[in-house]
Amino acid sequence: MSESKWIPTVCYQCKAECAILARVEDGVVREVKGNPRARGKMCVKGMAGITTLYSQERLKHPLKRVGERGEGKFVRIGWDEAMNIMETKLRELRKRGEGHKFTYSMFPHSTTDPKWRFVNAMGGFITTGLPHCDSAKIMAHLHTFGCFPNHHIAPMYYTVPKGGVMILSGRHPFGCLDDACVPRDILDAKERGAKLVVIDPIFRTEAAKADWWIPIRPGGDAALFLGMCNHLLTKGLHDKAFCDKWVREGDMAGLMAFIKNKTPAAMSKICDVPARDIVKLAEMCAAAPSVSVDAFKSIMYGNAMDWGHAWSIFLVITGNLDNPGGQPMPEIAPMAPVAPVPPPPNLKELGYHRTGPNRARFDHYTFFLQPTWYAAQAVREGTLKVFFASECNPALSEMGSGEWREAMTLKDRSGNYALELFVLTEIMPSETMKWADLVLPDQTNFERWELLYMPWWYNFGHTAAVCQPVVKPVGESRHANRVMIDLGKRMFPEFFAFKDDVEYYDIELSGIGMSMRKMLDGGAIWSPGTVGFRKYEDAGRFNTPSGKIELEWKMYGDIGQQWPSPELPLEFRRDADKYPFILVNFRTIFLNNTGAWSQNNAQLRDPVSGIDANPVLLNPVDAARLGIADGDMVTVASSTGSVRLPASLTERIKPGCAGIIHGFGQTMGKVASRGAWAGDNELIADAGSHLDEQDLRGGEAHVSTRVKITK
Amino acid sequence: MKQLSIMVDLDRCIGCKTCIVACRNHHGLVNHETAMPEGMSHYLRVESELTGTFPRLAEDYWVVMCQQCKKPPCIKACAAGAITKDAQTGIVRIDREKCTGSGACIEKCPYGVIQFNAEGRFAHKCELCHDRVVHGQEPVCVEVCLADALRFGEREILQMQAEAAGKKLLKKRSTQSILYVKRAD
Repeated sequence: MSESKWIPTVCYQCKAECAILARVEDGVVREVKGNPRARGKMCVKGMAGITTLYSQERLKHPLKRVGERGEGKFVRIGWDEAMNIMETKLRELRKRGEGHKFTYSMFPHSTTDPKWRFVNAMGGFITTGLPHCDSAKIMAHLHTFGCFPNHHIAPMYYTVPKGGVMILSGRHPFGCLDDACVPRDILDAKERGAKLVVIDPIFRTEAAKADWWIPIRPGGDAALFLGMCNHLLTKGLHDKAFCDKWVREGDMAGLMAFIKNKTPAAMSKICDVPARDIVKLAEMCAAAPSVSVDAFKSIMYGNAMDWGHAWSIFLVITGNLDNPGGQPMPEIAPMAPVAPVPPPPNLKELGYHRTGPNRARFDHYTFFLQPTWYAAQAVREGTLKVFFASECNPALSEMGSGEWREAMTLKDRSGNYALELFVLTEIMPSETMKWADLVLPDQTNFERWELLYMPWWYNFGHTAAVCQPVVKPVGESRHANRVMIDLGKRMFPEFFAFKDDVEYYDIELSGIGMSMRKMLDGGAIWSPGTVGFRKYEDAGRFNTPSGKIELEWKMYGDIGQQWPSPELPLEFRRDADKYPFILVNFRTIFLNNTGAWSQNNAQLRDPVSGIDANPVLLNPVDAARLGIADGDMVTVASSTGSVRLPASLTERIKPGCAGIIHGFGQTMGKVASRGAWAGDNELIADAGSHLDEQDLRGGEAHVSTRVKITK
Repeated sequence: MKQLSIMVDLDRCIGCKTCIVACRNHHGLVNHETAMPEGMSHYLRVESELTGTFPRLAEDYWVVMCQQCKKPPCIKACAAGAITKDAQTGIVRIDREKCTGSGACIEKCPYGVIQFNAEGRFAHKCELCHDRVVHGQEPVCVEVCLADALRFGEREILQMQAEAAGKKLLKKRSTQSILYVKRAD
């Protein structure tokens, strides 16, 4: 009889990294499902992970570029040669005193990812999806009530009481970068009598299940919430007792003065939601036992900081902090440092914002992660010389794809590339690969060790999970973490004295009285047991400098950002005549955005089990005006780029908007390159070079960019 | 005859297709190495219907699998006698040994759910995970459903459960053994 067992590990088809079980039979993964010790759900992307593991498209050997960048021509080399190329260039960079011109673009799987350790030892920077996607929310919550937010999974839907209001504002929890249990938890809450309100310019699955769909003008969320705050405060419907006790002295008076002219009628003009609906939603929230706001993707607006601020103020004045059904405030159990710890680069000295015309202004900000940074500009400015990337696909995920490509091939007078070395680790062929000098075959979650230590899992009572190899690796693939530890051992033996990744994780886990063995014995997950409500009551304070909630961001007074603006930055408001449509880049459950491994997964790009088309969605009213029929090829053009796509006419999109799924446009890999689809970042401006305020006030401009549509 | 069934709750189905891929994995319907889009067998498919005009819209999603017909046309179509309706469970089963690969059942199926294996030249389809349910387990799609929109059991009992939950049977879609329900408004 063949051996068959279910082994606990972690999914990595997307960044939610759900705890799963893999059924391995005779050394082959046959089935996967959610780990019953951790909520027991797994989505379609995760289910299709086996196809990623065994696809014949897997990269199996290190590759070295031959020919020019962009041609995508490679020869197979050995790991020794690949390691030597990286070591030689990085040593040379350090010798020149330019260690800080090394950047690694990655998504850290824990707060102490070994790749990040290497970057610190090297004196370089990391750049992650966090500055692009999350900074606004993280900083808004940190500044206002001093908590590290659960930025991927906001509310605890399983705690929402009957009558509680769940607001999804530009958020698609039925499938985007969320724990796979969230759809069930939201639907369960609805069955208990909670109300689901979906604010979105596109009618999608969440809207279909909602009690109320509010089709807002993209980027109007800050205005909508400020309009609600105005109504609540001027009618005395806010949680006065909570505000009196917890808001810093003087801030409520300041807020009243600021909010005075943000009337529902005034805000309606910005967000295109009728004033009566703004009032209705405000009163619905005031009367509800709890309100949660889940808005992860709407922080991609050009005014993401303002929106994060407005949303934080709304949570405060309705008293929805750390209460059942409201905004959770996670506590993080610290792991042990692996001594000696390499010091991170000095951001105060080197600057928070390393590129762009707003560089100097950015030093006014108090970000804990370097904010949005643009590889293309850094190459042009000579501040990026060596670039490594893992588990991201910058050729498609960086704003301004055209500029990015140009920068990768930029040469100096001697004919050498300005970016001296570009190293990429990949599981499957990716668009970015075409520009890389070295492509290193990475491992899937089924082949690697990894300690995942994520604050957002706090919501579910656990904080750490172990990804363990369940089968032998494919080809010569090596996990990027192991590659960087090996490189660290060659270059910085003092910081990489531990045996391997598993020992590194063991040392870290000792800080919480755990070890990898204990974790695996416990089903590969661990809980700190700190989940609870209204922890500020016990502490007697919020984790802000004043110990109170700080509605006014006084530290930004000198740059006029102490209160949130309801408007999008200027660059998204001008030229409305020339570019009458607002682009809405949306996500689907079937793809991990630009992630090459999901774009090249046959099951996820199959029309039956995934999605295989990315036309531009237009409302029939707009299409009729422009003489566009369903299926017509149209040009979608912004001020910085254009793409040709078939039009799909649908009632589900708000007139005046054009919808495109984020992540298509790959030309590498047999699966991903199917169809004449385009990458949305062709249309998005490279913020620092083309935009005025967005890099100061926004996240990515995915839901703000103006476009025109022509046949 | 006892009839085993799946009840699809349209209030909960989100059209995520998790069931389709889990089903493929469990039944080994995909060669992961060589798979390409549009070339894979599938025992389930997702359908949806959007109604109304902006901004007053409604949309439902549901899954379609073998409906385990009361009088299966596929049985009648099969000259080789390879298809039977199991007396114990009401599950319509295809005997691969007997199947000649004529494809007649595929043509006659009103729901378009029977798949053809070109390599082995046989017809195959959802049999409510017969391999699992005889051991007391639920079909895979029911176990993995992201939204808990599927429920497995005897058709008669499922109908009572729907009634108790205030759901009405969508008669147009529930003409055979699989049940489709939605909240009675």
